[in-house]
Amino acid sequence: MIKKKKIPEASIPTSSMADIAFLLLLFFLVATVIDVDTGIGLTLPEYVEDVNTVKVPKSRMAAILINANGDVLLDNKPISVVQIKDNLKRRIISKIDLPSNKKLIVSVKTDRKTRYNIYIQALDQIKQAYFEVRDEYSNQNFGSNYNKLVGTQQKDVQKVVPIIISLAEPETVKK
Amino acid sequence: MAFEKRRANSKQEIPTASMPDIVFMLLLFFMVTTTLREVDVLVKFKLPEAKAIEKIENKRLISYIWVGNNGKIQINDSLVKLDDVEPIMYAKRQSLANVIVSLRVDRGADMGLITDIQQELRKAYCLRLNYSTNLKI
Repeated sequence: MIKKKKIPEASIPTSSMADIAFLLLLFFLVATVIDVDTGIGLTLPEYVEDVNTVKVPKSRMAAILINANGDVLLDNKPISVVQIKDNLKRRIISKIDLPSNKKLIVSVKTDRKTRYNIYIQALDQIKQAYFEVRDEYSNQNFGSNYNKLVGTQQKDVQKVVPIIISLAEPETVKK
Repeated sequence: MAFEKRRANSKQEIPTASMPDIVFMLLLFFMVTTTLREVDVLVKFKLPEAKAIEKIENKRLISYIWVGNNGKIQINDSLVKLDDVEPIMYAKRQSLANVIVSLRVDRGADMGLITDIQQELRKAYCLRLNYSTNLKI
């Protein structure tokens, strides 16, 4: 009688594969930084040597001045930072039907010693005012919020409510 | 009356054969999404908070400038002087035309310095700017 030879099983032990994979997974979980950069976007004007100033009528301007102590002037009237939004919103809405060369220009001017935080707060207020006006306009005309509109509709809203922010250079005297 | 232990007749095991596959899928996801930190931040800063913030979708376009609470400026991996901002950023713009400069500035920094940096950026034609802020809740 021929004894059947037992064939030894040739297999890689896979029971620990899951453990190894878990270890790797853990490493990548810990090492991953999913941070989306968020912030306030802005486009700077091009640099020109000699600035030829263009006179802008006062009715178009909303001049925001921030001094070193963090006090805010809006068109020469003292105002607190959190009031900027409502104040500007009214003025943006009042110019909604005017042609594009008569829309509101918001000018922000700071002192060299102004703290960055206050500047960002002010800029935030301005942006909020614009965003809220845009949302209201889109709701009236297209029936949904601005960021839910399609591209062409967004362009229309942008045309009606353009965001014009002018950054004035701070006074160099106090350097 | 004797108590009998009741037991289901079916098998009581969770099939684990597919576990490695599932884990590998997760692993793959994290491997693909991971961007390992490329730069060490050498300055101390605490970002300001704001409400009306936008997300930058395209992370590839972003180039960071850090400004710490002691007024030090960092680009890439090293601290730089204000005068060096323009050439460095100009070179960056050459290699990436529509670069977005994200300013990560400490909330206590002076506006004078920020304006100086902005002037340098204007000279370097890096005009798309982003003030990096955290969301105010």
